[in-house]
Amino acid sequence: MQCKDVELVLEQEGLEPLPDEARAHLAECRECRNYIADITSLVDAAKKLPPEIAPPDRIWISLRAQLEEEGIIRTPRDVIPVEPGSMWQSISAFFSNRVLATAMVGILIAAAAVFQIRSERTPRVEPPFKTAAVQPIVPPTEKPVTKPTATAPAVAQPSGEFDRTARDLNDQEPVATGMLLASTSPIDASLRDNLKKVNEFIAECEKHLKEQPQDELTREYLSAAYQQKAELLSAMIERGRSIN
Amino acid sequence: MCLRMMGITLARPEFYAKRGILPVLGAGLLLWSAAPARAAGTGQRIEKQFSVTGRPVVVIHNVANGRIEVKSWKNSEVNVIGTQSSNKIGFDIEQVGDRIDVTANVLDASAQPLELEADLQLTVPEETELQLKTETGLIYVEQVVGDMKLESYAGDVHLKEVSGYIIVKTTSGSLVCTQCAGKLDFSSIGGNAQILQPQLNNVNLMTTTGNVLFDGDFVRTGLYSMKSGKGLVEVRFSSTDSFDLKAQTATGIVDNQAAAFLKPDSHTARHIASKAIHGFVGTVGMGLAKVELSSYSGTIRIMKRD
Repeated sequence: MQCKDVELVLEQEGLEPLPDEARAHLAECRECRNYIADITSLVDAAKKLPPEIAPPDRIWISLRAQLEEEGIIRTPRDVIPVEPGSMWQSISAFFSNRVLATAMVGILIAAAAVFQIRSERTPRVEPPFKTAAVQPIVPPTEKPVTKPTATAPAVAQPSGEFDRTARDLNDQEPVATGMLLASTSPIDASLRDNLKKVNEFIAECEKHLKEQPQDELTREYLSAAYQQKAELLSAMIERGRSIN
Repeated sequence: MCLRMMGITLARPEFYAKRGILPVLGAGLLLWSAAPARAAGTGQRIEKQFSVTGRPVVVIHNVANGRIEVKSWKNSEVNVIGTQSSNKIGFDIEQVGDRIDVTANVLDASAQPLELEADLQLTVPEETELQLKTETGLIYVEQVVGDMKLESYAGDVHLKEVSGYIIVKTTSGSLVCTQCAGKLDFSSIGGNAQILQPQLNNVNLMTTTGNVLFDGDFVRTGLYSMKSGKGLVEVRFSSTDSFDLKAQTATGIVDNQAAAFLKPDSHTARHIASKAIHGFVGTVGMGLAKVELSSYSGTIRIMKRD
């Protein structure tokens, strides 16, 4: 047996028991004896190591989240075992679900039809100003919306794609300014002054957009101005609540 | 007392005591009677110290009028000093783990503005996250590393040597940011923004009527967007900078005082899309950073520093 044969035996069969041929080779080969001694000492040292420490749960949670985020693993959906039931129960359940679904669809279609007919017959009535407590301020959207409606004379007249946003904000404006009307605080004066600035800027942008509808830069500024107006009105309402 | 400390003994101490106390008492009585009602609570001071283990989060909501000052030290402690002009304001200060909440509350709704002044002075670990909100009064932050959100209606915000993700929102207050690093978002209606000697790699500045000044280096691969609706947008760069520039205005003016340093843009994808917009694109150096300037009706000024 040669040295490489001993290595092969060690890889395949481990340290003990070594076959007789290997032992005979070791008796003659000093290098292989040293090699076996090294491996034996390594194994002994490994046996003396403390038992494996279990990592905390957060490591596993973090690892799982990372793997899921990278799409390497997926969280299996919870499967609720279905208890076997009688054939009659199954048929009944299937039929009742279908019936229920069909009935619901029918009701929805009927309701939609009634609503459509009524809306065609009755003229549309715009709701009055809503109170600040119930109406959220709508941030600027760039969706095409309905025709403009009457607004407070002091504020910008909306047109085009910002109609709905403008209308909502204009509805909020008298509420917000009304809440701070009696206040003489410099902050409230500053808020009112800034609202005026924003309104002027909005009016300027609106006017420019009517003349040059393709001006994307102005559209961006108009969108940002509506956003600022929404935030400003929110701040005014918040302050108004704290004062009153 | 000083004489005693110096080893000098008075021959008739009771005589000197009477002579010394009477004028002081008289003067005190006079000042007390002449002082306005505000003096009842003048100089009220509260100080608290909190130990923290990691990177603390400090949340301040100052509904009163006053200054908020935040500086850093090497200690793992947050020190809070609050001073108030009257007892019509109360401080709520509490610690929850590494979060410190400080709130100045108005206790008497009928209080006059002068009675609602409350200053806060904080000393925090160098790495601290901040969330400060005030109505008026200066917010001053110096040498703090960490994300911060600073909001004010009418007060200015001054930052010096801070870094992190910095968000500043004001209504009419202005921002002065000196030697700041990291990412900066500023939005305001009437406030100005001055960015001086920055090391910021991501900047978004937006003001409706205020002015914007950026005086400093553009970090390579940085992204910079500066907008003003009606104000001036001014950028001062150095010849060693490397950035692509896009400047555009709807009805304003572009004042390019550095035309000699701006090469035509070599990146074909970038151009002014609409003929209705005035402006230009150009490149300084290799064009590594990206700079976008715009103003609706104000002036955009581009200058090279000496």
